[in-house]
Amino acid sequence: MSDCINLTSEIRERGPGGGGRDGFEACVAAALVCAAGEETEVLWCQDRKGVLTGWCRLPSGGSLLPAARAVAELDGRLAMVTAYLPERAREKGEREIAYHFDLDGATLTLTVILPLQWARVPSLTAIFRNCDWQERELMELYDVQVVGHPDPRRLFLDHSLPHAPFERLVPYSTFTNAATGKVLWDKVLAGEREEP
Amino acid sequence: MSTKLIELGPHQLALEEPMYFRVKLEGDRVADLDVLPGQVHRGMEHLVMRRNFYQNITLLERLCSLCSNSHPSTFCAAVEEVAGITIPERAEYLRAVADEIKRIASHLFCCAVQANVIGETALFRRVMEVREIMQRAKEAIYGNRMDLAANVIGGVRYDLSVEGAAYLARQMEAMKQPLDELYLQYSNNPALLVRMAGVGVLPRAAAREYAVVGPVARGCGIDYDVRKKSPYGAYDRLEFEVAVQEGGDVRARNLVRLAEARQSVSLIEQCLAQLPAGPLCADTLPEIPAGEAIAKSEAPRGELMYYLRTDGSDMPVRLKWRVPSYMNWDALKVMLKGEPVANIPLIVNSIDPCIACTDR
Amino acid sequence: MHIQAEENAIVPVRLFRINTGSCNGCDVELAVTSAVTEFDVEQLGCRYTEAAREADILLITGPLTVRAREEVLRLYAETPQDKVTVAVGVCPVSGGVFRDSYAVDGPLERHLPVDVNIPGCPPRPQALLAGIAEALELRRARREGGAPVRRALPVDNFPARGRLSYDAGSCVDCRICRHVCAAGAIRFEEGETGVSLTLWHNSCVFCGLCSHYCPTGALSVTGDWRLDHPAADAFRQVERGEVPYAPCVGCGEPIIPAAPQLLHAAFRRPNPDIERLKSLCPACRQQMSIGVPRR
Ligand code: SF4
Ligand code: SF4
Repeated sequence: MSDCINLTSEIRERGPGGGGRDGFEACVAAALVCAAGEETEVLWCQDRKGVLTGWCRLPSGGSLLPAARAVAELDGRLAMVTAYLPERAREKGEREIAYHFDLDGATLTLTVILPLQWARVPSLTAIFRNCDWQERELMELYDVQVVGHPDPRRLFLDHSLPHAPFERLVPYSTFTNAATGKVLWDKVLAGEREEP
Repeated sequence: MSTKLIELGPHQLALEEPMYFRVKLEGDRVADLDVLPGQVHRGMEHLVMRRNFYQNITLLERLCSLCSNSHPSTFCAAVEEVAGITIPERAEYLRAVADEIKRIASHLFCCAVQANVIGETALFRRVMEVREIMQRAKEAIYGNRMDLAANVIGGVRYDLSVEGAAYLARQMEAMKQPLDELYLQYSNNPALLVRMAGVGVLPRAAAREYAVVGPVARGCGIDYDVRKKSPYGAYDRLEFEVAVQEGGDVRARNLVRLAEARQSVSLIEQCLAQLPAGPLCADTLPEIPAGEAIAKSEAPRGELMYYLRTDGSDMPVRLKWRVPSYMNWDALKVMLKGEPVANIPLIVNSIDPCIACTDR
Repeated sequence: MHIQAEENAIVPVRLFRINTGSCNGCDVELAVTSAVTEFDVEQLGCRYTEAAREADILLITGPLTVRAREEVLRLYAETPQDKVTVAVGVCPVSGGVFRDSYAVDGPLERHLPVDVNIPGCPPRPQALLAGIAEALELRRARREGGAPVRRALPVDNFPARGRLSYDAGSCVDCRICRHVCAAGAIRFEEGETGVSLTLWHNSCVFCGLCSHYCPTGALSVTGDWRLDHPAADAFRQVERGEVPYAPCVGCGEPIIPAAPQLLHAAFRRPNPDIERLKSLCPACRQQMSIGVPRR
């Protein structure tokens, strides 16, 4: 564990902007391995302007909390959480949640793979305060339970709307109150015919 | 001390958009608050999965009219990243011009509204009149005063002719003196100082804990600007200093905004001076392969982040974005704590609250 | 621009605004009509009020979200019976780009009656003033009897993005415009005699993307921004044209001939052989190109 702490101070010195790209990447990789296990790998891409983006698929849902703690140790800031149903989610019975962190200008994404049914993730609010709304939002839009969230009320979704609208991959017109577009267009086209 | 709960809405808070707060008062001071968003929730992240990439350019521009250019340009950057498109240099500059024009108008609107909230009507009208120079410029160049329709996948769909560039340069010249004057006013005018200095303070440590970005963070001494930290488009060739203030109060946030508006004038001038010749767009109807990408930009309110996931079809599998306003609401708890009720509208407006952005 | 109020009312007409979940574009532009002298509603003898029960004219923005509905209807119930209701921007009328979202409960007319529409996204302040003037005229006509008069407005030659115009003569029925339109404002219908395009101005958000991608310039953005109209005419605000079928010169099947603009775009100087292509159906075109003797 002491290795990890050394890494933290090292990354603070080098940083992605500090010029030592390899050193920075090695630090992040080592911290994640330390926290989430040997198989944890980060794939880094650098764009034409030198901005680093790292992608890491966590080996298990259980490694999310330690990995998030490691990122916090590295002075990472939680930037965004994206829940989604990947391609062929039904076939594979899987869903994913991506946690995007800012590391002084570089973006690191940690992705957890969860079962499609009965998905549960631990809340990160104890580590990143601003995860509160991110998690409240993902709980109302998707069928995912966030374990340990301090305030799991709905956030944006009106109470009259069904739970988890983002789970429905059917065309939206069949689950909205009316296919408004069609009704309106019928009138537009009819209005026209009335004209002399 | 008596504790009571009050509900405040857009009419009490002088907001252009509907947002509600449940405020816990101890005596006449704020003890805690609960933010109740959702009035402007239009299900946009769901709509974008049912529309193709082209339609999403126009749809995203209507997420919020105050930062309307940041959304399509950052979305297009994500699409371009997935498709491996390098946009022409001229387009990079023209995107920066559009973003900076919007930044000036957005910052001025925020400062104007705050003047109105504290009853400085003459100053409110003055700032709005200065902002009109930008509104007129937007309409002259882009055809609309709010939604510029500047972006397409692979570049831009507007150009600046020699005369157009000269016209914009003249408008920028006309902005300098009023912006300098406004900066001095918001910095030193005693009537403003009384209401804004030391009010709604967010300490730097709290700013980090609450993960705020943009002028709210920079007003607390946090030197973070996406244009510098993660340069994109033309920004790696443009010179500017990140505007930072130490106060963490309402005044500091406004000074950051006004300093940035002034810098935007300089950024636009640099763009006009460096504007390279060449095409506006890489490829008019590109194929978008399967992939994922992140794109970021510095919107008027701070870091804007987009995540795009595609499967080779012409609609996104997932398009998620996090607006800079998102974290500010929670930080209001710190800024409002211990403040008298009369300061609530000003402090709420000092975070440049964007509800359309927040609710999506 | 300055619109002269006909009779300078001593008691100002009071305007009340409700935002039903808009992108704030219309609202920020309405703020301009109370803050900027050139566009101040004062010139029409109006002022804004913060009290719903004082509303002589009610200005409504946004697509009406499910969440906002309750509060909108509560405020509406407080407004006087004889107010004039104005839908500002295309959102309240058609939902604009937000139509058919699970979270949108518009169009507004499903919940309350509207008198005047001001299309635009957002409408420029000049258009807002024109629409408010129309509401004032309707209010006057209702009180004094007689029909409302539509007043002419000073035109400015500012290159604002206004109404779209469609020239069926250069349309090739490629339908890219419908493909890129976020607002679902364009419809194609195959009829007996040809293919017709209908563009509904109350759905269009004036982004101009259709004309940007239109290969022949059949769709173009005009500077005509004066689009306010009585709500009863909402569904008649259309641009329409028909591309007639012509028989294929090879086999006689009805087809949409290619427009000359397209040929000029594809081949810099079309020769007679190429010109012939435009009046052939795809099958005959293929046959012709395979059958053409190699030179
Ligand atoms: S009409 Fe356009 S500008 Fe007005 S609220 Fe709707 S989307 Fe925004
Ligand atoms: S300008 Fe064209 S693409 Fe844009 S909303 Fe109108 S019809 Fe659709």
